[in-house]
Amino acid sequence: MTINDRMAGIAGLLLAAFLAVFGWGLQAPFAYEPVGPRAFPLGLSLVIALCSGWLIYKGGGEAEPNPPGANLRISLMVGLIAGYAFLFVWLGFVIANTIMVVFVGRLFGGSWVKAVITGVAMSVLFFLLFDKVLDVVLPTGLLGGLL
Amino acid sequence: MDTLSNLGIGFGVAFTPLNLLVAAIGAFLGTIVGVLPGLGPINGVAMLVPICFAMGLPPETALILLAAVYVGAEYGGRITSILLNVPGEAASVMTTLDGYPLARQGLGAVALSLSAWASFVGSSIAILGIALLAPLVARFALAFGPAEYFVLMIFAFCALTSLLGDNPVKGILMAAIGLAISTVGVDSNSGVYRYTFDLPQLADGIDFTVVVIGLFAIAEMLQMLEKLLSGHKVEVTSSGRKIFSLKEMAFTWWTTVRSGVLGFVIGVLPGAGASVASAVAYSNEKRLHESRDPDAKFGRGDMRGLVAPEAANNAAATGSFIPMLTLGVPGSGTTAVMMGALTLYNITPGPVLFETKPELVWGLIASLAVANVILLLMNVPMVRVFASMLAIPGYILVPGILAISFIGVYAISGSVFDLLMMTAIGVVGYFMVKVKMPMAPLVLGVVLGDLMEQNFRRGLSITNGDPVIFVSSTICITLWILALAVVIVPPALRAYGKRGNRPPAV
Repeated sequence: MTINDRMAGIAGLLLAAFLAVFGWGLQAPFAYEPVGPRAFPLGLSLVIALCSGWLIYKGGGEAEPNPPGANLRISLMVGLIAGYAFLFVWLGFVIANTIMVVFVGRLFGGSWVKAVITGVAMSVLFFLLFDKVLDVVLPTGLLGGLL
Repeated sequence: MDTLSNLGIGFGVAFTPLNLLVAAIGAFLGTIVGVLPGLGPINGVAMLVPICFAMGLPPETALILLAAVYVGAEYGGRITSILLNVPGEAASVMTTLDGYPLARQGLGAVALSLSAWASFVGSSIAILGIALLAPLVARFALAFGPAEYFVLMIFAFCALTSLLGDNPVKGILMAAIGLAISTVGVDSNSGVYRYTFDLPQLADGIDFTVVVIGLFAIAEMLQMLEKLLSGHKVEVTSSGRKIFSLKEMAFTWWTTVRSGVLGFVIGVLPGAGASVASAVAYSNEKRLHESRDPDAKFGRGDMRGLVAPEAANNAAATGSFIPMLTLGVPGSGTTAVMMGALTLYNITPGPVLFETKPELVWGLIASLAVANVILLLMNVPMVRVFASMLAIPGYILVPGILAISFIGVYAISGSVFDLLMMTAIGVVGYFMVKVKMPMAPLVLGVVLGDLMEQNFRRGLSITNGDPVIFVSSTICITLWILALAVVIVPPALRAYGKRGNRPPAV
């Protein structure tokens, strides 16, 4: 199954409805100005709804189907990125990044050995470069005592 | 001689050791970003914005770094176009047409050096143009009230959506989504919380870096996975000569200058960025020469066909700083990201910037000139180094991009919430790219949203709610007409071209 303009239009309509429903009650307790905080979001909701309606009406625009296996790899990648986000602070940059690089590296065709070497090297290097040299503070996490 | 003394201030800023170093680093990084297929100037600039901020670089230094990356990417894009027939970024598609045939004829090194020269001339013309034109535009823009600004932004959106894509409805949709994203958070006029759902992380709104990195790093990565890129090996084919001859320079001189000027003018217009400029310059030169010159061999390795798009895309990239600096309304996705970077520093670009922060504006202009010289010097002898970047395998490159993106976003917000939101935005962005939604209007929407709403409400406050304010001045009416024209004319021209059964101009 591929996605197309009609599905994008339906998603747009849902977004417009969301904006309208949660924007309706936005009113300032004391109004100093003729246009309050809800006019702009509601206007946008209308524009989004109109454009989405047009896309649904027109249809077409089939996206190219992904090559076989790509969907699975993309889902895995999304999972890895989300996992990286969860672990980034808790495990600290060095550990979380090593794990991420190893698995993403595997996904992009590196062998286990190459992926592990890349992971460790990149994590240590980036930590030194950003945290120590460039003053961009990174979470130390579990290695807090060592770094 | 205001301009001269201002340029003096500018070069004073540009020649501080830190800024020189930063311009050189930016030029180098930018060229690499330009070389790598899939990564263009907007990706490079987006990833660097939060890191600049977190490093505590002063605003002018950060802007110089980003500008050097931007211009560097336009230089870098040509390398793979010529050597591999693979454009490194969107604006160098036209460079493949004559660049690759030249490389196949064993003139690769000559084509590379000649195109670097053309890029240099194009950028130089545009820098000169900025120095002369920007103060005038800024002075003119001082007369703008809220209504004029609001209509100007409408015009910018119209120009961007109409010139970028073949489906303007998608452009408008994306612009509206971008504007909607900017409404999240506390409304600064009334203090009302909008779409925050009692989450403290959303009270300040969705940070623009989160959106931009999600869209341009995470989504890009998912696309790379779809195509599963692997390292290319490239040989820089050696010929007897490494560098172009004076005869070749003279032969292409007027083409270079013409394309540079054309590119600059196109770049200044909001919406029409480097890709449009290079395409127009190429077809312009082709039309001009093929009728008169029997020896013209456009598409089969004509040097004029190589220099035209390169001069134009660099000139356009540089020229696109004008609307951002003078009006505070960026004309392209990349300058929108840079404007977002300035707002991180609480600097709102616009006409007053020339009065209040001359060192920033003129420092940037001078640094563009410095970066341009550095890029020319770097790009002739170091082509091999940049081309070898292509051999970086995907299993190093992609995790590297991901790590840098996370470092940047974490550095700014320090919150896991933002990292997760960036991931989610990246996934949505991936689907948007799949159905060919243009990204630039969305970025422009996120960056301009607050400004646009404020001007809209301020304008209506003046007349106590009467929308007549938006058509009450000559400037407003002119802008409305321009906005309408930019929406109607290009499709009409296209339709006319089809009916006449001629090949489309671009």
